[in-house]
Amino acid sequence: MDVAHIRNFSIIAHIDHGKTTLSDRLLHRTGTISTREMEDQLLDSMDLEKERGITIKAHPVTMLYRAANGETYELNLIDTPGHVDFSYEVSRSLSACEGALLIVDAAQGVEAQTVANVHLAMKQNLTIIPVINKIDLPHANVPLAKQQLEDILAIPADTAILASAKEGIGIDEILEAIVARIPPPTPTGAGSLQALVFDSYFDTYKGVVTHVRVFNGELKPGLQVKLLHSGKHVEVKEVGSFNPKPYVREKLEAGETGYLTANIKSPQEVKMGDTITDTRHPAPALPGFQEIHPMVFSGLYPINTADYEHLKANLAKLQLNDSAFVYQPETSVALGFGFRCGFLGLLHLEIVQERLRREYGMDIIATYPSVIYRVTLTDGTLKEVDNPAYLPEPNYIQKIEEPVVRAFVICPNENIGDMMALISEKRGSVDHTETLDSRRVMLTSVVPLNEILIDFHDRIKSLTRGYGSMDYEHAGYQESDMVKLDMLVNGESVDAFSCIVHRDKAEGRGRALAAKLKEVIPRQQYAVAIQAAIGGKIIARETVSALRKDVTAKCYGGDITRKRKLLEKQKEGKKRMKAVGSVNIPQEAFIEVLKA
Amino acid sequence: MVESLYVHVPFCAQKCDYCAFYSEPSSGETINRYVAALVKELEWLAPELRLRTVFFGGGTPSLLTLRQWEQILGAMERLNLLGAAEWTVECNPATVSLDKAKLLRSFGVNRVSMGVQSLNDSLLERLGRVHSRAMVFKSFDILRRAGFENVNVDLMFAIPGQTLGIWRETLREALALGSEHLSTYEVIYEEDTRFYAQLEAGKVAEDEDLACAMYEELCEAAEAAGLRQYEIANFARGPDVETGAPGLVTRVPERACRHNVNYWRGGDFHGAGPSATGYVRGVRTRNGSNTLLYCEQIEHGRRAIEFSETLSPLARAGETAAFGLRMVAGWPFGDFQKVTGYDLRNEWAADMEEAARRGWGRVDEQGFRLTALGLRFADSAAQLFLR
Repeated sequence: MDVAHIRNFSIIAHIDHGKTTLSDRLLHRTGTISTREMEDQLLDSMDLEKERGITIKAHPVTMLYRAANGETYELNLIDTPGHVDFSYEVSRSLSACEGALLIVDAAQGVEAQTVANVHLAMKQNLTIIPVINKIDLPHANVPLAKQQLEDILAIPADTAILASAKEGIGIDEILEAIVARIPPPTPTGAGSLQALVFDSYFDTYKGVVTHVRVFNGELKPGLQVKLLHSGKHVEVKEVGSFNPKPYVREKLEAGETGYLTANIKSPQEVKMGDTITDTRHPAPALPGFQEIHPMVFSGLYPINTADYEHLKANLAKLQLNDSAFVYQPETSVALGFGFRCGFLGLLHLEIVQERLRREYGMDIIATYPSVIYRVTLTDGTLKEVDNPAYLPEPNYIQKIEEPVVRAFVICPNENIGDMMALISEKRGSVDHTETLDSRRVMLTSVVPLNEILIDFHDRIKSLTRGYGSMDYEHAGYQESDMVKLDMLVNGESVDAFSCIVHRDKAEGRGRALAAKLKEVIPRQQYAVAIQAAIGGKIIARETVSALRKDVTAKCYGGDITRKRKLLEKQKEGKKRMKAVGSVNIPQEAFIEVLKA
Repeated sequence: MVESLYVHVPFCAQKCDYCAFYSEPSSGETINRYVAALVKELEWLAPELRLRTVFFGGGTPSLLTLRQWEQILGAMERLNLLGAAEWTVECNPATVSLDKAKLLRSFGVNRVSMGVQSLNDSLLERLGRVHSRAMVFKSFDILRRAGFENVNVDLMFAIPGQTLGIWRETLREALALGSEHLSTYEVIYEEDTRFYAQLEAGKVAEDEDLACAMYEELCEAAEAAGLRQYEIANFARGPDVETGAPGLVTRVPERACRHNVNYWRGGDFHGAGPSATGYVRGVRTRNGSNTLLYCEQIEHGRRAIEFSETLSPLARAGETAAFGLRMVAGWPFGDFQKVTGYDLRNEWAADMEEAARRGWGRVDEQGFRLTALGLRFADSAAQLFLR
């Protein structure tokens, strides 16, 4: 296809604003998929994604569209992950495009996530086509949505297309706008091949399949190429596109989007944002590349120590399709052998754990998540700590810095007070308040990352009865008075419950944790002491009293089957507990502690 | 041949608040129909039975009329089912009459288990029992007069509202009766009972310390009265004797309930009547619990079995190990091997060690048994042995 007839675009939307439905409509309208094939949420291939309504993986789809002017265009839709944890992936996907559709729910209006992603798109100089979706809903408020586009995003309201993806309204206008408004790709001026890597996945037969956007030159089988940032040299085996199933093409030309396969076995070898170029005539790298650094860490341990190898194998499998996920072996005094895992954010962490439990049937314990602290020691050396167990003793610490984020919270006017209180409880400070419309405001604040890890988003949702939304971007480090809070069970420090907290919050948190553990640790044959300690000083204590008996008084011939089944069930329950010293701690305790 | 038979009589004058056993209010016509069906079921089972122990439980077997008993006992005579060395019938103190007691005795019933539960009238009311303390003394007297020399008294403790003082008094008076056997149960809040509902509603609360104190009181008082504990909830008089099928004997106090010992030892038994369980050649069966359905099936010439399970040999052995440990005698290694074909010292070596480590069990050359502490944690100990 000649470059003038190629359009590369993404769709930006808040969860549930209809991105997937609109994508399906576009595929259907262009004849890429038949009506029969138009099953719900075609692009989201993982069950978990469907369930959570979040796209994690981006699949580019190539559509051929015969426009009103009679000419045929190649439209490449590059799907983007819709969550803040994956903002680097979003930015890479966006940089493969010249334009983006911005979907705003006519009933919900602009949300925090939309704002963040629009800013990303604007930074990349993308042409934005606003689409006000769900106009068929009875409580749709189109004028308000238009007003918000102008006020919040500075996008001229008269450029908005009114649509209902569900009802098929406005689809033709959108396709025409893609052709008319989004510019065709322009060559970068580099002398030879430049292709941007914006995703990859693992295929059992083909190895790593790399998603690329060609900016300059052409990609075809047999070509020797170099991945500039990873330094890897490979020979291209196959190129193609998706419609939405992969199909082989002769070559990918400048401006086009598709995939390539080569002799690449591990997704870690393909870095997102990397530039692929011709080995013999190398071109400079495309801008914007970053190494992905996990922001949140948690230890994952098998409930049964015998499952260690099994867990290791499954983590490796998971990593094949999730190159942002990293892990390495670690040992815990309480939990034995496991893995320190790094995630992009909390949602990413939850998704990985959930997949291990559900898809791989693993019984695992996750330790309290931690961010990366920068610790300056008294001798001046800098140490990064992502595991409370490795925080040096206080007398060796000169200062601790913690990562902070700029959080954007959008909420109804009546909840401003609640939000201010919540942000301040989370050690944040609101530095900007913006009125979005007559009903809503956006609060911009700087909050420590460790404070928003657990329940910040949930609390916003519950305080605003679901109307509030939140997004954040990383905003560097700040010095804070952090201490390590240890939890001791019968005198033994359970590192899985330890955490690094701000000194002002340590005591309250220690008390809450001790009380929670008292609730969830079942009574044992001996009394169990639960203590919270900071640097050896006990700040809270609870006791789980000893169990004096567990016998069922009577049991005769007719009771045996029922009784046996009950005992079997109890035994199974105990197996799922983790023995810490002489104390059995159920899996739920490790989960409940996160909520304390 | 099967040497033990359990017969379930599913009728009660009224349902007790703590009871999860299957029973239903009686109507004369239903009971007659039940008796006829039971006789038929016994006819089918008879060729496989050479009875050493029989147990009529319920429900309230003593609720059956003289006439109905005559029919059952007559049928059993005809079927050659009399003459068991131990034949127990459960009685409610409110439904014992001298005529009935004499009739049972004359056909060879030689043991009566009396559901006394408490000797405190307000607690009896709390339990939903139909009898009073006065009836207990009267009925016990009747049983002795009818010639019963082996009587069991059932008592309950940790009843909501029961103080340690009330329990002591009940124990003292019950032991003074001089029964040969004592069964004592801590109240269990079983689902589908009114007690459970009250517990859930927060109207009553469990007091573990009090229950433990009552248990200690019980053990001391029973021992002092010459009743020796031979199972978690059972005490009996007499010197140790060996009981059981030839080749498989257990040492228990002379008046221990042989029928129940057979259960804990993993022995075979047949069951008759609604909801009755049987365990023959490794297959456990249970009749359906609905009396009318039971009658209808039997009348149509079909067994009323609604559930049956066959465990793998190892699972069966694990179950036998687990439930056998409820007995103070524990498991002599040789006996266990005879019953199950497995050696505890192989398959369960680590579990015995773990139980010993926790202070629950003791291993010696002869076998394995639970300690006094172990008997208090018998459920957890049993879990170790299940496979």
